[in-house]
Amino acid sequence: MIGFNQVTKIYDNITALRNVTFSIEKGEFVFITGPSGAGKSTLLKLVYLAERPDEGSINIAGWDTETLKEKAIPYLRRNIGIVFQDFKLLYNKTVYDNIAIALRIRGIKEAEIKDRVHEVLKMVNLRHKTDSYPRELSGGEQQRITIARAIVGEPTVLIADEPTGNLDVDNTAGIMRIFREINAKGTTILFATHNRDLFRNTGLRVLRLDNGNLVSDEKG
Amino acid sequence: MYSLKLALKSLWYDKWINLLSIVSIATGLFILGTVLLSLYNIERATQNMPERFTITLFLNEKISKKDVDLLIKRLKRESIVKEIDYISKEDALKELKTSLKDAAYILEGLDENPLFPSIVIKVRRENFDRDRVEALIKKLKGFNQIDEIIYADEILESIQDVYSGFKFVSLGVSLLFSVSVVFVCYSTVKILFFRRKEEIEVYKLLGATRSFIRAPFIIEGTIIGIVGGVAALAGNYLLVSLLKGMTNPVAVLKLIEIPVQLMVILPVAGLVLGLTGSTIALGRLKY
Ligand SMILES: Nc1ncnc2c1ncn2[C@@H]1O[C@H](COP(=O)(O)OP(=O)(O)OP(=O)(O)O)[C@@H](O)[C@H]1O
Ligand SMILES: [Mg+2]
Repeated sequence: MIGFNQVTKIYDNITALRNVTFSIEKGEFVFITGPSGAGKSTLLKLVYLAERPDEGSINIAGWDTETLKEKAIPYLRRNIGIVFQDFKLLYNKTVYDNIAIALRIRGIKEAEIKDRVHEVLKMVNLRHKTDSYPRELSGGEQQRITIARAIVGEPTVLIADEPTGNLDVDNTAGIMRIFREINAKGTTILFATHNRDLFRNTGLRVLRLDNGNLVSDEKG
Repeated sequence: MYSLKLALKSLWYDKWINLLSIVSIATGLFILGTVLLSLYNIERATQNMPERFTITLFLNEKISKKDVDLLIKRLKRESIVKEIDYISKEDALKELKTSLKDAAYILEGLDENPLFPSIVIKVRRENFDRDRVEALIKKLKGFNQIDEIIYADEILESIQDVYSGFKFVSLGVSLLFSVSVVFVCYSTVKILFFRRKEEIEVYKLLGATRSFIRAPFIIEGTIIGIVGGVAALAGNYLLVSLLKGMTNPVAVLKLIEIPVQLMVILPVAGLVLGLTGSTIALGRLKY
């Protein structure tokens, strides 16, 4: 599903990732962890092609970064749902429109969009906030909206960068439950966090980064 | 379709920026329209003044019928001559009498016709060539039966000069304002783009194609252009009706007309210039 082969990413003179090699199978739930500045976000950005590797190659859902054309990126991204730590919601649009936009860019008909948006809103328990604006929601609710937006297009891979970073214990637990549910439906998940509590004793795979190096790959 | 909706929404959302742009574009196109309007009306006015392209030959009083015929025959061979009109002494008197109307009695005391016979030559207006007219006049001066040649030399020259000068300036002004309209659309789209940079970033990350992102901006820029064009047209109509309705009107102004083509030209110019401006703006932006 996702394969990194000898990947190195250098910003100016900082090596954010060094010679990283791993591969993830379809349906896996994988945590990326490590201290601040270890390269977690960089690794995820390489997956959704916000960045390109300086060395090595990345394979995503059968697409290879070495041969991938610029024009194909939007179509590849439609297979990847992204949950950002800073939400990246559109604050001048309603909750409904924020989620619907992910389907509108695909040219899907409004009638179908309506059904699917309501379905994902039910999944994140925010059906009653359909017509609210993001500012009227709590941090945990906003994060659930971004999850809804990420999964409404039924991606094969779901990427999350510190999705629980700003949330309290209850909200965090709620969000983890949603991710497990999504994973149970067959979606591959890449989840970056420095919070060990999230993967301790889960038996899920954990990739540990430190200073740009992949230092361990084991079960949590 | 969704792009159109986005564009319309954004037109409303950023209405002040858009309104400002529309006003600037309308002003530019209004000036453009006024220039075209003036050109059109000057062209029309000069077409109604063929007498400006006339050479009058005053002939010797005692010229014989044979010499007149000969002269006319010669003139007919000149390619720039369009029409020849011979006015005899008697014709000239008759004409004078009719033009004097009630005052014709002042001629009654005359026992002799004081007028001269003349030939009026109309010069071809199309492909008008001053040098050839002058060459003809020079040739005619060689005839001893011709007393005087009157040719609206200076008037003609100045009209010709003013008109071609005006055409030249118009071209420059039109070009200048076309470029500024493009620039206004360009800047507007660029401003709108930067105002929505975060939104665009999100669209991109969700998998929007370049054309999905561009379309609303291009539509918006084009709508701004068209609306500007229509507003400019309305402005031109207003200007013309104001000029025509002036209480102390200069007679010529009454004759001003709006060419139908302008109704198409201005909105289409707005569309094309708006489209050009927004396309350039988007082409130069990295996203
Ligand atoms: N756009 C950039 N330009 C320059 N350097 C960058 C850029 N993005 C990241 N870096 C650097 O690359 C290294 C890895 O950054 P990255 O964001 O991947 O860390 P992280 O593991 O996500 O950290 P955190 O837990 O704080 O989010 C850091 O040293 C960072 O300063
Ligand atoms: Mg990070």
